[in-house]
Amino acid sequence: MSKGYPIGGKTFMALKNLTISFNEGEFAGIVGPSGSGKTTLLNIIGSLDKPTQGEAIVLDQNISDLTHKKAAYLRNINIGFIFQVFNLLPVYTVYENVEFALLLQQYSGKERKKAVMEALDWVGLTSHANKKPDKLSGGESQRVAIARAMVKRPKILLADEPTANLDSENAHEILSTMKKLNKELKTTFLFSTHDEKVMGYLDRTIHLRDGNIEKDIIKKS
Amino acid sequence: MIKFLIKGILRDPSKSIIPIFVITIGVMVTVLISGLVKGILSEVVNKNANLDTGHLKIMTKPYAENKDQLPNDLAILDLSILKESLELNYPNVDWAPRIKFAGIIDVPDKNGETKIQGPTLGLAYSILNTESKELKRLGIESSLIKGEIPKSENQILISDEFANKLSLSLGDEITFFGSTMEGSMVFEKVIMSGTIRFGTPLLDKGSFIMDLSYAQKILDMEDGAGELLGFLDNEIYNPIRAEEIKKDFNKKNINNLDEYAPIMLTLRDQNDLAPTLDLMDLITGIFIIVFVLAMSLVLWNTGLMGGLRRYNEFGIRLALGESKPKVYKFLLIESLIIGTIGSFIGTILGVSFCYYFQEVGLDFSDELAGTSIVMPSIMRAHISIDLFFIGFIPGLISMFLGTALSGRGIFKRETARLFKELEV
Repeated sequence: MSKGYPIGGKTFMALKNLTISFNEGEFAGIVGPSGSGKTTLLNIIGSLDKPTQGEAIVLDQNISDLTHKKAAYLRNINIGFIFQVFNLLPVYTVYENVEFALLLQQYSGKERKKAVMEALDWVGLTSHANKKPDKLSGGESQRVAIARAMVKRPKILLADEPTANLDSENAHEILSTMKKLNKELKTTFLFSTHDEKVMGYLDRTIHLRDGNIEKDIIKKS
Repeated sequence: MIKFLIKGILRDPSKSIIPIFVITIGVMVTVLISGLVKGILSEVVNKNANLDTGHLKIMTKPYAENKDQLPNDLAILDLSILKESLELNYPNVDWAPRIKFAGIIDVPDKNGETKIQGPTLGLAYSILNTESKELKRLGIESSLIKGEIPKSENQILISDEFANKLSLSLGDEITFFGSTMEGSMVFEKVIMSGTIRFGTPLLDKGSFIMDLSYAQKILDMEDGAGELLGFLDNEIYNPIRAEEIKKDFNKKNINNLDEYAPIMLTLRDQNDLAPTLDLMDLITGIFIIVFVLAMSLVLWNTGLMGGLRRYNEFGIRLALGESKPKVYKFLLIESLIIGTIGSFIGTILGVSFCYYFQEVGLDFSDELAGTSIVMPSIMRAHISIDLFFIGFIPGLISMFLGTALSGRGIFKRETARLFKELEV
């Protein structure tokens, strides 16, 4: 697929005839300098954007054919996002931030409670359930963001520079947690990063440059 | 989901308390200003009607032509017959005969010699007749400054300002010098039973109130009156009804060849009130529209800023799988809830302040000193049904439209671009 953006009468090609596939349960990262097309690729996989040429098939659905409503549904059920800045809703408690992802689905109150507490348990924050985000450290906030993204047990989790605002210790802790969830829940994790620490955890590293795949390295287990 | 979002609104002052506060203030000011402007206008109408013009006024034709000279020699005679016919033809109108007469008040010293004198305007109202509505209509009781309402016919009420100028005390005997209807001199000793504040600088300068029947007697005007004022149902001025009655009455008298035939005027026909009232109506309308529009812009902006401030939250919600229409719908529902609460509280407060200013009023007597038109010196707000709705225009509709406009960005942009703008 290709993706171009019109800029000043010209088209800037963020992705150029790129062909790539990801398997279920992969722990992969897209690496490259700024402007290489990392975020564009993640946006298309996350149904936030569409290719201008070619096809992007995500979980058997052609992203180009999805309406806004269907794209939202795909994100709601199957795709989780983790952001560089944690983006927790400040007026809600940790519990409510995680619960929010489930409110968009038809979960009963009891089911929601069970799922939220389980998600908080994955990230070791059950004791922080009633705290507001401003009472949490950066590492704890990102763990809440992981719980929020994982609580609905998505098939794909997209993480855009998830360790950029964390110190080394917290970054390793977060990555260990994600790796654990990847193994336990078989969720496909796709990172956009240029953090060396993240690269050390990845099973597959796709290097992008100027919208093309430069290298696609699969770590031998 | 709605419960969850409402919880968020209530916990975040920037989403709830601040916009509600801004809307409340805006709506309150809108309601208060509207009530005050309308009140001042209706106060001017009522004051003119009650003190001078009535909703309708009958005079003889020559009296009407020279009424500024108070020509009581041209007054209506056979008043009881005219009144009876009017009551028969226009049963819901209350007819109140009045006499205005000029003269001099003479205050004697201990020896009966003139101590001080002053020109005066006498106003004869039916105040001793228990069936008359004049006492209530003129608000005499509530306007008393000192003393009491006359209990016998030779007692009068003098404007407080005039009484002070003449150094009068309650119960003082004074002499009124004037002329009868026929031109003879009148020297009548009367007693000041109290002082009154008309609330109209023109009358407060030097007027007194006397009972009508007594004035008829001393002015040789038995069964006569300078003017016969008509007041419509419930004392509420209805220009259309007044005009109908006037046309009907004057049509019946058009062929009356008597040079003293009666003629009827409406409130608008007198004292150049028609252009003044039209202008005031126009100004009031423009003022209220401009004010409502100005407040609408302020509250529109509140809605707009409220929406823009929350772009980050919308981004997170979109990422979590909420659809654009759903985010937009909740944003609009929120603005409706906040707009309704703010408009409701603002309306209650605005109407409450209006009620206060309706009952207590704003005293402008110092500013109006020296004016020669009948203007109320205490301006009051007026509570009308539309005050309960007018605040909802800026409070609810503008807030909603502002929010709707800010929320359009959600639809206008590609999700990925929006996501970037949202700094998610």
